[in-house]
Amino acid sequence: MDRSVGTTDSEQLTRLAERAALPLAGVGTLAVLLVVFYYPVWTVFENALGSVARPFQPVREVLESEFYMGAAHGLFAHPARVPGDVLAWLTSVRVGFGWNWTGVVLGDPLTWPRALPDAWVVYPEVRKGLFGFTAWQAALSTVASVALGLPGAYVLARFEFPGRRTLKSLTILPFVLPSIMVVVGFVATFGQFGTVNDLLAWLGFGRVQMLYTLEIVVLAHAFYNAPLVTRMVGTAWENVDASAVETARSLGANPLRAFRDVVAPQLVPALAASALLTFIFTFMTFPIVLALGGLQLATVEVWLYARVQQLDYQTAAALATLETVFSLALMYVYLRYEGRRAAGGTNNPLSRHRLFDADTAREWLVRGGVAVYGVVVAVVFLAPLASMVLASFGGAVDPTLRWWEFILERQSGGRTQPATAVWNSLKFGVGALAVALPMGVVVAAFSARGGRGRKVVDAVLMAPIAVSGIVVGFGMLQSLVFGVELGGLRISIVGPVVVVFAHAVAGYPFVVRNVAPMLSSVDRRLVESARSLGASRGRALWDVELPLVWPGVLAGAAFAFAISIGEFDATVLLAEGGSTYTMPVALERYLVDRTAGPSVGPAAAMGTVLLAVTAASFVVIDYVGGEYRP
Amino acid sequence: MKRREYLTSVGVGAVGLATAGCLQVENSGGGDTTTSETTSGDGTTTATTGGTTSQSSGPLRVATYDSFFGDEGTAGDWLKTAWEAEHDTEVRFTAPSNGVNEFIQRKKQGVDIDADLFVGLNTGELVRVDENLPNATLFDDLAGDVANAGDIKDSLRIDPQNRALPYDTGYISLVYDGTKVENPGTFEALASDAYRGDLLAQNAQTSDPGRAFLLWTIHEFGEDGYLDYWDTLVDNDVRVLDDWQPAYDAFLAGERPIVVSYSTDQVYYNGEDEIPRHQVGFLNDEGYANPEAFARFADTDKPDIAAQFAEFMLTDEAQRNIAVNNVQFPATTTATLPEEYAKYAYEPPEPVTFTYDELAGNVGEWTEAWAQQIASN
Repeated sequence: MDRSVGTTDSEQLTRLAERAALPLAGVGTLAVLLVVFYYPVWTVFENALGSVARPFQPVREVLESEFYMGAAHGLFAHPARVPGDVLAWLTSVRVGFGWNWTGVVLGDPLTWPRALPDAWVVYPEVRKGLFGFTAWQAALSTVASVALGLPGAYVLARFEFPGRRTLKSLTILPFVLPSIMVVVGFVATFGQFGTVNDLLAWLGFGRVQMLYTLEIVVLAHAFYNAPLVTRMVGTAWENVDASAVETARSLGANPLRAFRDVVAPQLVPALAASALLTFIFTFMTFPIVLALGGLQLATVEVWLYARVQQLDYQTAAALATLETVFSLALMYVYLRYEGRRAAGGTNNPLSRHRLFDADTAREWLVRGGVAVYGVVVAVVFLAPLASMVLASFGGAVDPTLRWWEFILERQSGGRTQPATAVWNSLKFGVGALAVALPMGVVVAAFSARGGRGRKVVDAVLMAPIAVSGIVVGFGMLQSLVFGVELGGLRISIVGPVVVVFAHAVAGYPFVVRNVAPMLSSVDRRLVESARSLGASRGRALWDVELPLVWPGVLAGAAFAFAISIGEFDATVLLAEGGSTYTMPVALERYLVDRTAGPSVGPAAAMGTVLLAVTAASFVVIDYVGGEYRP
Repeated sequence: MKRREYLTSVGVGAVGLATAGCLQVENSGGGDTTTSETTSGDGTTTATTGGTTSQSSGPLRVATYDSFFGDEGTAGDWLKTAWEAEHDTEVRFTAPSNGVNEFIQRKKQGVDIDADLFVGLNTGELVRVDENLPNATLFDDLAGDVANAGDIKDSLRIDPQNRALPYDTGYISLVYDGTKVENPGTFEALASDAYRGDLLAQNAQTSDPGRAFLLWTIHEFGEDGYLDYWDTLVDNDVRVLDDWQPAYDAFLAGERPIVVSYSTDQVYYNGEDEIPRHQVGFLNDEGYANPEAFARFADTDKPDIAAQFAEFMLTDEAQRNIAVNNVQFPATTTATLPEEYAKYAYEPPEPVTFTYDELAGNVGEWTEAWAQQIASN
C-alpha cells in the first residue's frame, strides 16, 4: 500500500463505507434471497417445464383438465369450440317470472308475502374445477374477513377505552396460532356438541351441523384474516388528518358527507390492500380446509400437498406454477393499490370518543352496535381460544390438571420438552427478526425510491407471500438440507440456521409492506436536506427516515416475529435432529403422543403455553416500541 | 477435507455458521468416504475417514416416525433400553418429517443416506420406493441375515424381494359409539340411509388408515366397483378429513358416531363407561391388515449390526413389548400378547390385505381417481 493513512483518509474511508452501505445491504439481501428462496423454489418449479420436445407439458395438462379447471378447461383444450359452448349454455338458461298464489289466504296477512312476484333462473351447472372452487371460497372468505374486520377498525380507531392498545397489539395473534390448534378450538366451539350448539339447544332451538360446510371454512378464514383487515384499515383511519375533516365540516358538510368525501377515500386503499392480501392467503389455504371441510372442499393447495406426498413433482410443480402466477398477478394489483395509500403518520389524528360515555340517543345506538359486534367477536375469536385453554384443563365436565402434569413430566425427561420448545421458538423468532428486519427495510428503501418497472420488481421481491409454503419447504429441503455440489464438495445448511432463514424469508415481506408505504410518504425535502448536508443515502435513511417511520418498522417487526413463532410447515421439514423443535412442532408431537393416548389435552396445554408466550411478546413489543414513537 | 481446513479456507463469513454447527461440507467425489460433520444437537463431532470395508463404530441410526420413540412408554424407548443393556452399540432414532419420501429423494439426488435401518414401512410405501427408484437400490435383502425371519406370519409378508420385514400389524376397522348407532356390519349397510351422515374417514392420499380403508373397499368391490361404492358413501354424507387425529378428535367430540380407526381402540378406552362408546365394528367380518415393516438401507456401513437389531425386534419379548407400546398386534407366530391387553385388542375374523404385487402399478392411480371423485362432488 503506497498511500499514507491519515485522519483525512480514514474519514474518507468511513464515508466511502457509508456510501456503499445501502447498495451493499441491497446486494446482501438479494444474495440471501437467491440462496434460501429463489434457488430452492426454482428446484421445484423446474419440474413444470417438461421436456424440450414438449415444453410446459405438465402445466398444459393441468390447464386442459376438466378436474382442475372446470368449465374453463375448454379455453385450453379446444379453444375453437368455446364460443359455441358458451352460446349453447346461454340458450339453455331459462328465466322465469310470475305469481304463485297457492297458500295465500286473503284473511291472513302472514301468508301475504307468498304472493310477492317470484323470479327464478334455471341454468345448467357450470363446473368450477379445483381452481374455480379455490377462487370461489377465497372470495367468500375475503368478504367475510372484511365484514368481520371492518367494524373492529372503526372501534379501535374511533373509540378510547381501557386496553385499546393491548387489544390492537393482539390483532396479530391469529397469525401465530397453528391451524391444528385452531381447528380443535373450532370443533369445540361450533361442533355438534360445541358451545354454540349447546347454547342453541338450551335456548330451545335444534342443533345445527356447522362443521364440514363451506360456511365454517369461511368463518375460520375470517378468524385468521379479519384481524389483518382491522389492523391495516385501523392504522389508516388513525392517520386521517383531523383538520381535513374539520375543514370539510366548516364548509358545511354533514358528518356523513365529511366521512364520504374525506375519510373514506383514505380508507379505501387500505381496505382494498387488506382484502387482496386476504384473498391471496385464503387462496393458498390448506389445513383449515381439510380439517373443517374435508376433502370434499379441497383447494389447489390441498392437491399440491398430496401430489408432493406421492412424489408426483410434475403435477405439483404445474399446480404451484399456476398458483404462483395467479397470486403474483394479484400481488401486483395490491402493490398498485398500496401506492395510493397515504399511510404516513399524522400529527393531528381524529379525536377518539370514550366508549363508555354517551349522551344522545344516537350515541347510545352506536354503542349498542359496538356491543353486538363485541358479542360476535367473542364468539368467533374468543370462544375457539377459550375452548382450547379449557381443553388443556380437561374440559368443563371433567376438570383435571392431568395434562399440565403430563407436560411437566415431559420437561423432566422426554424427547420434546416444553421449555426447550419455548426457548427455541423465542430464539428463532429473534434470529428471524434480526435477519428479516434489515432485509425488509432495505427492500422497502429501494421500493420507495420509485422508478420505472418498480412495481414489477416489488412483486417479484414479495414472492414469498405468493409462493405456497409447501413448495418453499420442499425446495429448501431438496436444495439446502440435501446440499449443493460445488467443486467435488457437497455443501448443505442444516439445523437452526436454515430454520431461521426460512422464517426470515417468510417474514420480511411483512416488514416491507409495513415500512415501504410510510417511507414513500415521508417528506422528500427532509431527505434532500440531509443529502445536501453531506449525508449518504444510507445515512439519511438511518438518521432521518427510519425514526419517522418507526411505527411501521415496529409493526413489521411484530409480524416477522409472529410469522416465525407460528411457522410450522417449513420448520417441521427443516428442523432435523431432535433439538430444534419449536412450540408449534412440540404441539403437533403432543397431539400424536401415543403414551398420552388419543387426547387433545397435552396439545391443548402446549397451545395454551404458545398463546401465553406470544401474547406476552406482542404486548411487550408494542409497549417498548411505543416509547420510540416520534 | 477436514473441518478445520475448511473453516480457514472459507473465511470469516461462514465461520459463524460452521461453528454453530449448521453448515455441513463433505467430499462427494471418489470412492473413499471422507466425511466431516458437526452436529449442533448434542455437541458431538464425528469424523469418519477411510473406506467402508469394516463395520464402523458409532450408533445404529434408525429412521422411523415421530411417535415411535423418545418418551417413556413408547416402543422405541423400550427397544433402545433393552438393546443397549446387552450390546455395545448405541441406538439413535431419528424421525424425518417427510418419512420414507426423504430417503427416496436423497437416493435420487445422490445424497448420503444418513441412516442404517428404516422402521415403519407399509406396503404402499414400499411400492412407492420401487416406482420412484427403478434403477437404484435403497433397501437390500435383509431376510437372509435375520435368523428368526421365518417366524413372521405368512399373511403379513409384504415384500416378495424380502427386503422389508413386518414387525407388527394393525387392523383397520370401524370404531362406533354404541350408545348412538348399531354396528353397521356390512359395507352395504354403512352406505344405507340408516347411517346417513354418520361416518368419518381419512384422506387416502396422505393418511395411513385412510389409504387402508380405501384399499379395503377396493378389495371388496374391485377396481371397477369401488368408485361406485364411494359414490353411494358420498351421497350418504361421508366426511373425509385429512388424517386419523382430526377424524378421531371429531369422533370424540361427538361430531359423528362412526370413525375409521384401529381394532385396538379399547386398549385406550376400557373403562366401564367408555366401552359402550368405543365399539369395534368389522365390515363383512373383515379388517384390513396394515403391517408395519423395517428394512435395511443398502448404503449402511453397519449391515451386521442392523441385522442383529432386526433379529432382536423379532424376538418374542420384543414383539410383546412393541405390540403393547405401539398398540398393535405382533407380527410373528411365536409371540403372544399379555392377557389383559389381548382382552381389549380385537382381531378381525378374516383379515384382508393387498399384496405388494397387487398394489404395484395400481395404488397411485386408484388413490388419485378416488380423490378426484371425492373432491369433485
